[in-house]
This record gives sequence, structure tokens and C-alpha cells, in this order.
Amino acid sequence: MDVFVLNILNGISFGALLFLLASGFSLIFGVMGILNVSHGALYMVGAYIGWTIAVKYDLNYWLAALAGGVVAGLISLAMERGFFRKLYKQFNEQLLLTFGFVYILNNLASWIWGPLYKAPFVAPFLAGSFSIMGRAYPTSRIAIIIIGLICVAVLWWLQDKTRVGAIVRAGMDDKEMTLGLGINLNLVYTAVFFLGSFMAGFAGVMGAQLLGVHPEISMEILLLALAVVIIGGVGSIQGALLGAMLIGIIDAFGKALFPEFAMFTIYLAMIVVLLIKPSGLLGRAV
Amino acid sequence: MEALKIDSLTKRFGGVYALKNVSFSVEAGNRLAIIGPNGAGKTTLFNILNGQLTATSGRMYFYGQDISKMATHRRADLGLARSFQVSNLFFNLTVLDNVLLAIQGTESHRFQVFRLTTAYKDMFTKAQQLLSSVDLWGKRNDLVQNISHGEQRNLEIALSLASEPRLLLLDEPTAGLTAAESANIIEMIRKLGADTTVLIVAHDMDVVFGVANRIVVLHYGQLIAEGTPEEIQANSKVKEIYMGNEEGADNAGVD
Amino acid sequence: MGTAKQKSSGFLWQGQLIRFAPHIIGGVIFILLVPFLPTYIQSLMTKILIFAIFAMSLDLLMGYAGVLSLGHAAYFGVAGYAVGILMVHYGINSFWISAPLAILLSTLVAAIFGIIVLQVRGIYCILVTFALGQLLYSIAMKWRSVTNGEYGLTGIIRPDLGLPHFTWHTTSFYYFVFIVFAICFFLLYRLVKSPLGLALQGIREGESRMSALGYNTWLYKYIAFVIAGMFAGVAGVLFAYHNGIMVPPNLDVATSGFVMLMIIAGGMGTLYGSLIGAAVLIIIQFYAGVLTPERWPLILGGAFVLTIMYARAGIGVYLYKLYKKALLAWKP
Repeated sequence: MDVFVLNILNGISFGALLFLLASGFSLIFGVMGILNVSHGALYMVGAYIGWTIAVKYDLNYWLAALAGGVVAGLISLAMERGFFRKLYKQFNEQLLLTFGFVYILNNLASWIWGPLYKAPFVAPFLAGSFSIMGRAYPTSRIAIIIIGLICVAVLWWLQDKTRVGAIVRAGMDDKEMTLGLGINLNLVYTAVFFLGSFMAGFAGVMGAQLLGVHPEISMEILLLALAVVIIGGVGSIQGALLGAMLIGIIDAFGKALFPEFAMFTIYLAMIVVLLIKPSGLLGRAV
Repeated sequence: MEALKIDSLTKRFGGVYALKNVSFSVEAGNRLAIIGPNGAGKTTLFNILNGQLTATSGRMYFYGQDISKMATHRRADLGLARSFQVSNLFFNLTVLDNVLLAIQGTESHRFQVFRLTTAYKDMFTKAQQLLSSVDLWGKRNDLVQNISHGEQRNLEIALSLASEPRLLLLDEPTAGLTAAESANIIEMIRKLGADTTVLIVAHDMDVVFGVANRIVVLHYGQLIAEGTPEEIQANSKVKEIYMGNEEGADNAGVD
Repeated sequence: MGTAKQKSSGFLWQGQLIRFAPHIIGGVIFILLVPFLPTYIQSLMTKILIFAIFAMSLDLLMGYAGVLSLGHAAYFGVAGYAVGILMVHYGINSFWISAPLAILLSTLVAAIFGIIVLQVRGIYCILVTFALGQLLYSIAMKWRSVTNGEYGLTGIIRPDLGLPHFTWHTTSFYYFVFIVFAICFFLLYRLVKSPLGLALQGIREGESRMSALGYNTWLYKYIAFVIAGMFAGVAGVLFAYHNGIMVPPNLDVATSGFVMLMIIAGGMGTLYGSLIGAAVLIIIQFYAGVLTPERWPLILGGAFVLTIMYARAGIGVYLYKLYKKALLAWKP
């Protein structure tokens, strides 16, 4: 029983991490129509920046986490200004472009920080463990769950209860109409893009506590974000949350029951959802 | 023989009714004009007839056959063709290729891989006839994106005629055309034989009275009047709706 | 009068020369010149032709039918691994047995994946194909007993053609690949000029119109998907024989992206663009491998970005326009 509970907790903590990552991805796609394949690379960059600040220079952990997010956000802004703006409404081209960015960011990361794996690193006061049902459970995982919950609450509130959220949702449904109402949609877009990418970078540092970081992680984590979006559906916080929790739990139990093939359970879930409800469990029709 | 029968057709988008309990029928060979102010649901009706949209409730019968759940391409096979209000053409292909695709759409050889398109000589003859009737044979090798708006609208109509349909849905065929170009289109429609039943959505009353022998009036998704052109002109409800709206025909509608 | 006649026939001769210039140049380089080139160049050209077949298969799907795929290497890799497994684990060397089986397998995988991929539209297809490609990559990595995991399936030798007294050299293998390429090119050319080919382009340009005209668009896209998988398998078979080894990255997004860049750089929706794109990228890859192997992904990514931003139509299309202009200039 206690093993079961621990697995659930593993699933929820991983799910919280995936939520941080996938909600940004989903929002950017839902709002701007850009499928940012380099979202996983932004996660990686955040993790590396976090590592540099927290491990290499031994500075405050939360500074590292924030810096990771900010750098990722800034890179995404550069992408938006320098490239996506010029390809307005050309969605296929934008997507292919982000694909090129993945190669560039991956290789640059490998160049700057070396190709080897960096071991997981945690905040000093998060090191150590809690006692849950008589077993030791890493405090860092609990922290991820808490941070995840806070983000869910904040984003949900933003999406459903604020004017900004209403504007974003309106923009998703009918861009021309929203523009016609005199709202500076461009500013909103840029803000959403930055926020989503910031969360990717921040998630990178958080995730580094569990996964460490290495150049290949951008693709691996992208696949997981993808699975969340396919299963949960695009464009809503609720969809990202449902997808993230499902993937987290499937992954946790997959790793516990057949460790070699955990990833395949996720692929299987994706294929099943695609065959039954292609738009995702909570998604709008694609 | 009823070419088309619509029974209590309703379409809801969330809380909004685009169409509410619309019922009417069209005898074979008739020319029915569907009119109404912007937002009345005219294009939505066409989208449902065509199969691009699914009705929330209600049924449709094509020559007695229930097509309510039938896929769009199968309706085309039965003889239902449609033109679009906003030209839905293949912009990066040539005018000739556009017409060939339209002709080929209901031909049995459209899955052929073993012969080249050029081997099907009668398709080309037909393409020449079709394009000549809209004065586009000379521009057959031009890319559609390079021809004028009027020429694109002409091509749009030509594509919908290519399959020699039994039921032709024309959605604002003269939108954006000059008086002369519109007159040409009206002539083309008049020349269609009794084998083709025509439903036409139009704002331009010249087109409506020049082509239709029956009119249906929609308003906020509901059918409010039906009859011959004379009956509709005399109808007081219709006059009420259209009072002051004769110039409103140019506004882009959320149909 | 007499001189005018002579002049015009001189004009005609030069006009014909220009008309067939690309074919003549291509023929000279790819057919006549080859035996006289150094071995490593012959090998490079072999690789170019193999990837040209691979690229053409993707172009059929993306350039003609308009279905985006970032997981096309799945079918390429499956066929390559099939050939390797038959040879290494079962000792089957005969080309006439392994190749058809391998291509059949890749076609089957495409038939299954196609159903899943075509549940979604447009941009979403890229994501689903990406995921499915990575699924196969994972299988190749984990199924060590069959694929030897990350160390790769080694020991794939040139196949047995069943011809007496025949041994393989670089040059003979090149011509073998060239013949396969020519056959594939011919078949695909016929395909895109057929009614089905025209229909695929119509679907790319306007799927809703095509439905309204009577085409079952899902079925057409599916057919394109399966045929594309089949031809990718052909390339995979040749690749296995050429490379001698199959590794999991041959199935993953890196390879898929590489060949996608080829058709974008060469010109989508034109078969010759695939050959040009393949040539350009394989040559760049070779020299990057010699000069800065560590930075090859960076160069590839940069090439991707530059091509999309500034050469969207592709080099092949640009060259084709030049060719058309030259033809026009010579019309008497």
C-alpha cells in the first residue's frame, strides 16, 4: 500500500513538472498558433542556466530558477521578434523554423556546457527527505508538487477570472473580432509567449532536481510535453493539467512495473487517444 | 419529383441558433433563391447541405434519398455541386488544372495511377468547353493566383458546373463582380437545362429576379416567407425586414 | 533568304541544347563520369542517390499531398533494419528475398501509422509523426536481442544478386543504386502526372473544395502516405547495404529532419528538387564531418533557419526558373 502511495506521489510530482512545461507549450499553440518544437530546448537552456548559477557559482537556488526562466523567455522573445513576426500566419514555416532552433540550441548547449550529463541538483533546504508512511520521500519532489499547484491555481485564475485571460481566450476563438475591439493583441501574444517560455525554463531548473540535464533532454522532454498535449487537449489549463497528471501517473507506474518499457506505455496512451478522440480528452476540435 | 427536401433543419453554435427549424422543398428543375439579411443563416444552410457542417437536428433528402449523415464527397457523387462565396480555388495550380480536377472529381478514373492525365482526351475537350464558356480558355496555363478577381469568380462557377450536377448550390455567385460580369453569370445560369436544379444565395435583387422562379426568405435562422417572386415582393413581413436594407447587401456577413 | 534559313536552324540547334542541358549535364555527371572519379566521391554520389529516393518519397507526401511528416525515417529505418536482421540473424543474403520483404514491412508500418496520423490535420500531423518515429527509435534501442540496441546492427554486406561470378565494387554498387533511383524516379514521375497525382495536389491546395468536388480526401492522403512509406523503404534497403550498419538514430527525428530539409532546400513539389537538395546537403554534411564534426548539428540547424527565411521555394525551383528564362530567351 505504501509503495502504491509513493508511486502516486511520484506520478503527481512528475505530472506537476510536466504541467509547468506543457501548459506553456499548449498556451502558445492555442493562442498564437505556433507549435514551438524548441520548447523542450528552452527547458534545457533553463536547466543549464540554473546549473551554472546554482552549482558552478554556488549562488542562491531560487535566483537560479528565476534566471533559467528569464533566459528562456528572452530567447523566445528573440525568436518571436527576429523570425516569427516575419512569417506571420505561415504556420508550417514557423514550425519548421522552431525545429531548426532545436538543433542550434542543442549544439550550442553542448558546446558551452559539454556533452556530458549533469547530475541532479537541489536547493539546499530542499535536500533530504520527508517521512511518508514510514518511508523516506525526497523533499524536492514535494516542493515540485506545491509549486505546480500554485502555478495551476494562478494560471487557472488568470485564464478564467481575469480580463487578460478573457482576452486571450477570445483571441483564440476569433482573432479578427478581438483586434476589432481595439485590444493590442500583439502585446498580449508577446506576453503569452514570454510567459510560456519562462515556465519552460523554470521547469527546467525544477526538473533538474529529478532528471539532471544533458543536451539530449530537449527532445525527450518535448516528447513528454507532446504526449500531454495530445492526451489532454490543446489550449486550456484544464487540458494541460489532466494530460500532465495522466502521463505522470502512467509513467510512475510504468517505471515501477516494467522499467525498461515505461516510455512505451506513454506512446500507447497517445495512440489510444488519437484513435478515439483525436482532439484530446478536453480539447477543442483540431 | 422533389430534388431537395429539408425537414426541420436546426443548427446551434453554443447558445446561438444559426438555423432554427427550417423546412422547405424544391421541385426538380426549379430555380430557388434564398434571400435574407446578413447573418440570416444562408451560408450555414449551404454548408449543411454540402456536408461541411453537421446539423444539430433535422433531415435532408436528395431526390428522395436521406443524405443527412452522408459525407461531402459522396453527396458530390450523387450529383450535388456547390460554389463558394469566397472563391475556393486551387491558387497554386493552373486554371486548366483547376477545371480538370473539377471534371475528374466524379469520374471513375480519378484514382488512376497507371496512365497520365494527358491520356484522358475527353476531359480536355470538356475543359475547353467549360473554360470557353467563361472566357478563360486563353488563360488556361496561368496560375489562378495571377488572374483577376472577376476571372476567379468565373472560374469558381465553372468548377461547380464541371460535374454536370443535378443540384447546384450557388453561394453569392456575383459577389464582387461588375454589372457586365454579373449579367454574364446570370446568362450562364439561365442556360442550364431542366436537369439541373439551382439553389442560389444572393443579395443582388437583379440576380434573384433574373434567375429565380421561387424564393425563400430567411431571417435570424428562421424561414419567414416562401413563394413566387411576385408573392415575396408583395409580402409585408419581407418588406419590413428589407426596409432600408437594399444597400446593406455589401456588408460582409456572418452567414 | 538562304542565310536566314541557315541562321534559324542554327538557332534551333542551340535551343534544343538549352532545353536538354539539365538532362545532359545530369547524364554526364551521374552516368558517364562516375568510373573515373575517386572512390570516396563515388561512394558519396551513391549516398546522394539513396537519399534522393528517400527525399522524393517524402516530397510525394509533403510537397504533393501536403501532409507534413517529421517521422519519415521510421519507414526508411524499418526497411534497413529488416534487411540487416535477415542477413545477420537468419543468414539470408539474397537481394531478391530480403529487399521485397523489407519494403513490404516498411509499407505495412506506413499503412498502420497512416491511420493514426490522419486522425489529425495540418500542423498536428508533424507532432504525431514525430512521436511515432521516436517510438520506433525507442524500439530499436531497447530490443537489443534483435537490433543490438545503441551499438547498431553491424555486418551488413552487399547483397547476393544471384549472378554468377559477380563481385561488388564501389562502382558496380553505384550503378546498381543508380538503376534503382532511375526506376523510382520514373515511377514517381508517372504517379504525380496521373489523375491521382493531380488529385493529391488539389488536396494540398484546398481540401474542402476537393471534398465538395467528390474526392474522398482521407483516402487519397492515406494512399500517398503508404506509397511514400514504400519508397522510403526502398531507400532504406539501399542504405543498409551501402552503410554496412544500421543504428537507432537512422530512425529518429534527426534523420527525418535531415531529409525534410533536403526537400525544402531543393524545392518541394518537384521531384528534381529532391535530387538537388540531397546533393547539396550530403556534400555539406561530408565536409562538415571532415572539418567540424562537433558542430554539424549547428550547421544543419542554421541551414534550416536560413532556408526557411530566405530560400523558401528552394534552390531547385530557383534553378528551374533560370532554366525557363534561358529557354524563353532562345525562342526564335
